Amino acid sequence: MKNFSSKVNEIYSLEQFSSMDTVIHRLHPSVKITATFFYILMVVSFDRYAFTRMVPYVFYPVIIIALAEIPYSLILSRLLLALPFTMFAGISNILFDQAILVRILGVSISYGFVSFVTLGFRALLCVAAILILVATTPFTSLTGQLRRMKIPEMFIVLFEMTYRYIGSLIEETTIMIIAYQLRRNSNKGIDMKHMGSFVGQLLIRSFDKAQQVYDAMKCRGYGLYARHIKKVRLTALDYGFLVIACGLPLLFRLLDVSQTFQQFLPGART
Amino acid sequence: MHMADALLSPAVGAAMYVASTGALARSTHKIDVEALEKKIPIMAVAGSFVFAAQMINFTIPITGSSGHIGGGILLAAMLGGYPALMTIAAVLGIQALFFADGGLLALGANIFNLGVIPCLFVYPLLFKPLMKKGTSAKSITLTSILAVIVSLQLGAFGVVFETVLSGITKLPFVTFLLMMQPIHLAIGIIEGIVTAGVLAFVFSMRPEILDHEDNQRVIKKSKSLKRVFAILLLTTLIMGGLLALFASSNPDGLEWSIQKVTGVSELEAQGFVHSFAASIQKLSAFMPKYDYASSGNQSSINATTAAGLIGSGLTFALAGSIGFGITRAKKKRKRKETESALH
Repeated sequence: MKNFSSKVNEIYSLEQFSSMDTVIHRLHPSVKITATFFYILMVVSFDRYAFTRMVPYVFYPVIIIALAEIPYSLILSRLLLALPFTMFAGISNILFDQAILVRILGVSISYGFVSFVTLGFRALLCVAAILILVATTPFTSLTGQLRRMKIPEMFIVLFEMTYRYIGSLIEETTIMIIAYQLRRNSNKGIDMKHMGSFVGQLLIRSFDKAQQVYDAMKCRGYGLYARHIKKVRLTALDYGFLVIACGLPLLFRLLDVSQTFQQFLPGART
Repeated sequence: MHMADALLSPAVGAAMYVASTGALARSTHKIDVEALEKKIPIMAVAGSFVFAAQMINFTIPITGSSGHIGGGILLAAMLGGYPALMTIAAVLGIQALFFADGGLLALGANIFNLGVIPCLFVYPLLFKPLMKKGTSAKSITLTSILAVIVSLQLGAFGVVFETVLSGITKLPFVTFLLMMQPIHLAIGIIEGIVTAGVLAFVFSMRPEILDHEDNQRVIKKSKSLKRVFAILLLTTLIMGGLLALFASSNPDGLEWSIQKVTGVSELEAQGFVHSFAASIQKLSAFMPKYDYASSGNQSSINATTAAGLIGSGLTFALAGSIGFGITRAKKKRKRKETESALH
């Protein structure tokens, strides 16, 4: 059952951090969304051998996480979840791209290996950027920004409600699984032959719950209407952040910082 | 089957965004808002249900590994194609943001592979026609198994196609395809059986939940497939255009991959690596090209790489110390603040 309760924690723990009050949290959501998109775009625009070129991009997550006072462990533990499928594509590169790029201290490093590392690294950077966005922007600010972007109201409501229902449905599922395991006297998964009726039962329960929630909301005057959207002006800080958060990735894209940096060291040239 | 940002090039990511946004805009347009108001909680719950159901892992016989349901066809059968697509898009958006599953740039591709394919193509073109003859437990079972398998096969094909087009993997297209399709056939059969089980159960207990003419009131009457096909056409053109670019700069891709799989000399491979990488750069990089190791001389490559590695190490160290510094400074300030508040 640890799996289920931890899953609920996993979803809402990020949101808990999003309501903190730091420099990063105070930024306008549109600025953060733009910066995140731009950052990801810059990172994925490198070719698959450009590991050293991507290294300077590590500044963004490190600095923002520190400024936003989010625990590194929170982001790191989630980063690992994102790796498996990317690694599958990466491993095939090792197998199929065996041409030797360089020999360092007698160890041959193939193009495939470089691309494997690059792919993993780039996956980490992209995921980190998204997690940071979510951990520093409250859910309502995110959807508020979507409204300002004129995304249809029904889609946003759907998005909000799905997010809110997840917790209650996971609870429902947990109860059902406990009941199933107690009756079956084993804590293995659910038998394939019971899967249809089990999930079907969950579905019917969910729909009933949705109906109850809808009725309750209707009683409180809910309707699908255009809401008043609060306009928030961008501050000087927002503009400053935007310039730095987009400017530096662009600079790193145009300029090989790792290489330049190394040249300043006395006698480091091999 | 969620694709990560790291697996896509900006060009392919953008093309898939265009395709999925088109399909979503179409769905929003197609749905009658007033009738929808009642349906939104149901859609939201169905979306969360997919989440919850994905957590119930079942054991796949023989292999010993486990799988979970994807949900495209299941949602379409209950909500109808357009509402199901919107629901899936919301689910994928939440997964990308809160679970590090998929990504923001890859969201378009994921919505297309897991949402548009099952909800707007497989459901209306395969599932519904097959169910027209009459709904029974048997017809639901067979049809949903078939529809899920077809959706997953097409989805897996999409993943392979988009990844290879992005130039991320060195795996030849055909080999990649030969790995992905059978795996997803196995997953599809299992998921199909589960979906069938769920739908048959719901049909026997609460048939009114399933998508039928009554529920169709949500969809506006003027239902024409023309625009859906227009979107499909547009997507095909965009994707086709990208593919043409890819194919023309690298005409012997397939031939080469066969050669490579059967074993080929290092020198030739290296020559290809360069031309292949260059062709992908042409395709994906809209920024000035970075000449990583294209200078022919091996010793200069060695020097460049060593320099790069040292530089990278230093960059990591610098980033780490900046992060550490900020955290410490912040903690210090906080401690001071609490102390002064206490005094």
